[in-house]
Amino acid sequence: MNGDAKDPVSRYLDGDLSREALAPGERDEAEAWDRLLEGVRAQMPAASAPRWLEQRVMAEIGRAPAPSPLRRLWTWLTRPLPLRVSPLAAGLAAAAVAALALVGEGLLPARGGDPASASGTATATVFVQFVLEAPGARSVAVGGDFDGWQGSHTLDDPDGDGVWTGRVPLRPGVHAYMFLVDGAEWVTDPHAQRWSDDGFGNRNALLALTDPSV
Amino acid sequence: MSEPAYVRLMEPPPEQSDAEVVRQVLAGDRDAYRVLVRRYGDLLYRHALRMGGSPDVASELVQRALVRGYQRLDGCRDPERVGAWLFRILSNLALDHVRSPRRRDLALDALPDLPAGAPTPEAETARTEFRERLEGALARLTPEQREAFVLKHVEGLRYEEIGAMMGVSVPALKMRVQRAREALRELLEVYA
Repeated sequence: MNGDAKDPVSRYLDGDLSREALAPGERDEAEAWDRLLEGVRAQMPAASAPRWLEQRVMAEIGRAPAPSPLRRLWTWLTRPLPLRVSPLAAGLAAAAVAALALVGEGLLPARGGDPASASGTATATVFVQFVLEAPGARSVAVGGDFDGWQGSHTLDDPDGDGVWTGRVPLRPGVHAYMFLVDGAEWVTDPHAQRWSDDGFGNRNALLALTDPSV
Repeated sequence: MSEPAYVRLMEPPPEQSDAEVVRQVLAGDRDAYRVLVRRYGDLLYRHALRMGGSPDVASELVQRALVRGYQRLDGCRDPERVGAWLFRILSNLALDHVRSPRRRDLALDALPDLPAGAPTPEAETARTEFRERLEGALARLTPEQREAFVLKHVEGLRYEEIGAMMGVSVPALKMRVQRAREALRELLEVYA
């Protein structure tokens, strides 16, 4: 096997090719792999969960609030300092808040096409909540001109639903940013309304923030 | 190998479907969640172990995954496949744990010995050597490669099933598994 995706033994091991389709030499290698993988499986634990685990889980959820869309909505509504720059489904309320918060220096599109909302303090720091839907990602961060494109602000997906969010304090002004997925792949915000060419064939999303204290 | 995991992931038992249980829990019957805990607890626990967790760590991760699953149950978009959804929550927790610098060291030496009647000293030595080499090979894998390898070649899932659970494309999964097999290739001579 040489790493070639078309290697017949690899295709056999992937389940894409029957053993009968292999040449005799390949068949010997495939059989060796089958024996090796059986040996690996034998080394892997097959234990059942300890009996007390069920009790612990049920006791803990007995103390937890019941799952409820209304409760989640309430939690979301009462979070402090929300600002969405790339909502997955921008609502009218968000657009209204955006118009109030960002219209100051004329950085917004004329008719609220940038579905953003903002809040901040007199210290001229605005907290921006970034959102990226990336179901297959293992990690997501956001980076831009505000951190030297280091991707130093990590986003979280605590419930594992593939929607990554994170709040980043930024100074008022126009910022270019991208998402860094799995520490390697820079991804343009698919919901951004404005972009700039980064000179390398990619598009940086642009975010415009005004000083909320002005 | 034990019963393939997908049998239980994809085929709900006849008495009550996963979707029915989820509806019951969301309607306020908290105790109904016990059905899901029993149905998927062993599968989740075994996967946490196979990702390299000690029994203590695996129990902790599964407990957190099941509690989080309950708290977020209304966000499960496909209740018929709540098992896969829980599995993904666990997977994310396990990968975070493996990456954590505070993780306790996890390795195959946490695994139980192979069942054997009365192994000869030579067989015992060979088994120990194989275990050590396997441990070394698995240690070189990224958590994502190890997970894909375990799901494919230990749990016996099809790539399409793994992709649906993990939200990863089949070509990407094949590449991860291929890398894992390359790391194990040095062990092939044992069985050649």
